[in-house]
Amino acid sequence: MDKAFEIQKQVRDNAKALQTYMTDLQNWEAEMKRKEAALNGEFEQDLPPVRSKVKKERPVVVKKKPEKKIKGSDYSSWDKYDVDKACEEVDMQDIGPSSLDSKKSQLAKLEKLREEAQYEKERGNTFVKQEKWDDAISCYNRAIELVRDDAIYYANRGLCFLKKDSLHLAESDCSEAIRLDPSYVKAYQRRASARERLGSLRAASRDLAEVLRLEPHNHAARKQLDAIKARMGTKGAKSKSSPSSTPTVESKPLTKPTQPKIVELPPEPKVSADDEWRNGAGENIMVIKPVKKPPHLRSKRPLKSIPIQEIQLGKTTPEKPPTRLKIIEIDDQTHGDSNNNDSNKIDDTPKNMKGEGDVASPESVKLVTDGAVKEKDVKTLVPPTNSVQFMSEWKYLKGQWEARCEYLSIIEPSKIPSIFANALESDVLSDVVRILHDNSDRFAGRVAAYLTQLSNVKRFSAIAMFLSPNDKQMLNKLLDHCKVAENTSEDAIADLKNKYEL
Amino acid sequence: MEELETPQIITHIEHNINHSIFDTKWIPCSAKFVVIGSLPKGTGTLEVFEITSGEIRKIKEIERPNSFKCGTFGASSDVERRLATGDFKGTLEIWDLEKSCQVYITKEHTDIINSIDGLGGNIVNCGAPEIVTGSRDGTVKVWDPRQRGKPVANMQPMKGETKRDCWAVTFGNSFNDAERIVVAGYDNGDLKMFDLRTMSLRWECNLKNGVCSTEFDRKDIPMNKLVATTLEGKFHVFDVRTQNPTKGFAQVLDNSSKSGTIWVARHVPQNRDIFLTCAGNGQVSLWKYEYPEHRYQVDHQGVSSGVPGKLRRLQRMVISTQPINALDWNRDHLGLAVATAYDQYVRILVTTKLNLQ
Repeated sequence: MDKAFEIQKQVRDNAKALQTYMTDLQNWEAEMKRKEAALNGEFEQDLPPVRSKVKKERPVVVKKKPEKKIKGSDYSSWDKYDVDKACEEVDMQDIGPSSLDSKKSQLAKLEKLREEAQYEKERGNTFVKQEKWDDAISCYNRAIELVRDDAIYYANRGLCFLKKDSLHLAESDCSEAIRLDPSYVKAYQRRASARERLGSLRAASRDLAEVLRLEPHNHAARKQLDAIKARMGTKGAKSKSSPSSTPTVESKPLTKPTQPKIVELPPEPKVSADDEWRNGAGENIMVIKPVKKPPHLRSKRPLKSIPIQEIQLGKTTPEKPPTRLKIIEIDDQTHGDSNNNDSNKIDDTPKNMKGEGDVASPESVKLVTDGAVKEKDVKTLVPPTNSVQFMSEWKYLKGQWEARCEYLSIIEPSKIPSIFANALESDVLSDVVRILHDNSDRFAGRVAAYLTQLSNVKRFSAIAMFLSPNDKQMLNKLLDHCKVAENTSEDAIADLKNKYEL
Repeated sequence: MEELETPQIITHIEHNINHSIFDTKWIPCSAKFVVIGSLPKGTGTLEVFEITSGEIRKIKEIERPNSFKCGTFGASSDVERRLATGDFKGTLEIWDLEKSCQVYITKEHTDIINSIDGLGGNIVNCGAPEIVTGSRDGTVKVWDPRQRGKPVANMQPMKGETKRDCWAVTFGNSFNDAERIVVAGYDNGDLKMFDLRTMSLRWECNLKNGVCSTEFDRKDIPMNKLVATTLEGKFHVFDVRTQNPTKGFAQVLDNSSKSGTIWVARHVPQNRDIFLTCAGNGQVSLWKYEYPEHRYQVDHQGVSSGVPGKLRRLQRMVISTQPINALDWNRDHLGLAVATAYDQYVRILVTTKLNLQ
């Protein structure tokens, strides 16, 4: 009986004990939460030094002490002795360690963070030296996480982004660095590089100007600025800057002695007949002069095709209007805006254009010269020896079926396969077919030869597939013509039909 | 009367976690704990839980590419409360759990860090904050969070010696700024005691079975007792007060329980003579070390040697079906502990009447 009671009592006690424990636990939980919320960063410990540094740090202190003591009799040394600096050093020594102890808590904690960030920065810098940009970036990231208001970390990270060609990131980092430290020259320089490569030249030049304002003797920045200005200049000059362009040309005569402005040249006393002709002297024409510019300075507009016509020396073409034009050199030293090339040209040209209103601009040049190429001139044509020659001539004669017909007729049919090799194009073929069809009388007796030789060009079967129904119709007619007019054999006709896939 | 004072061990809360868990630690000065583990895909997680009136609530989770193995708050102050972790690849990291950011990282070990311990953060005047890590690469390294990259001490086998897998490390004897001892247990049963002040091996012995866990009863007093648990259900308690030049330390061996590997032993923070062992069969046992009448005796040559005490089991309880691999007593509340087991459960254990012992 006793035993049973005892067990019962124990069970009850245990349950009770547990219950009290649980209430205790709940109270404790609440209390812990309160305590935890009250925990603020007010905490600083006096810690013993890092184990491995204990030995290392002592000799450093010893080393500092034996600072050359200046003897009382050594007057020259005392003259050089900077008392203010020495006083400052002594003061700093006093402040150094003791201030950390006295102002514990917040300041010390900040200091700690700064130290850590500094460590990360140094690690980042070594990565930069090894050109491990990604590792360096992660180091700077951590440094920035620790200390958000140090321009150096941002600028250094910007450099890494710049090296990695993440130009937008680089620019934003540099901007942040500049925001934090408006006199940070390197940040400006890096942002300028980023912006230059991003194409915002104006912003880049502003940054460089800021650099030069802060450091007037910064050669790298000056060079970069000049380069950018040169780049900006080629894209066009502002009207206000064009007057200044003349002196710059004159000041640099050596660089471009071959291309002076014609109008400004005084008539040279001894000009050979050749030169005279070249300058268009005595003729009612304008001379188009070549303009030499480095590729990056050239206009980005598509080139206009200007047909050039060969005229023998001394020979005049009285009936036709002069086809020679003058292109006024545009000064590439001018600075300023990038897209009013033409207006600039026109500004400069009126004096040359007097009396030639119809050649006011290059656009009109083409209109004028197009008409100039006439059938008669085609006589100067020479039969091509390869497809390149043929194609350039063919394209030149575009739209002038007569001329093309003439050109075709001077080509010996038997040479067609060797001329075209494997470069015959389907549109050329259909043009040829059309010409043959339209002018079958001119090619009397040779149509079949042309067709046969064309079909002998390499890879012809592939080209024939692109013939349009229209072309095929013309071909059929041509073959009929061959049969009737040229007495081509049935076999040959069948063969051609087969080859042209009729 | 005796029976009325027997402590009870009760599983207060059980919480299933869907991945492997390796270690757990209370966050100092809070009702929160962090669970360290690894996801099936091989990434590591740190999860912060809070206990609120009988429930566990997850507050935070951090995931990293490498599985974490172990962690400690020992080297961090109660205000900063930074967790130092070791992972499967040998990386030591220190975390600011409030900001979820990493404040320190170094990878000097070439293999998994099996065990970690920290000291110097939480108790005033007990030396520099230091972390000790033991790794499969055979080395035991001591770190100072203020020194980046390089350990402040490195204990490794001599050239030519075989490298043993270090399974357990612990700090102790840190009763002033200079003194400090590291004890490391290895897979071959070696137990080595390194003196960090003299940078020398102070003592070593072999326990015949791999040492799974080792702990001093207190870290911040002149070393008093050391528990080392091993495979095959055995654990040793050394009285480390008195070292005999020939016999070393007196010890008690317990191999009474056939419970498989004893994974961990942890002393109750409020009572250094009571400790809990966690076994491979999911059983936890509460032990009390009873000192002998005289702790040491002097032989005829005037050399003193320790006298072992006795072990008494206060309570035992099977709480899990799988081995319990980690346990941590709460420093602020007597009898409150958190344990992780291989059945992927984290448990809050409550032990009553510890104050009566």
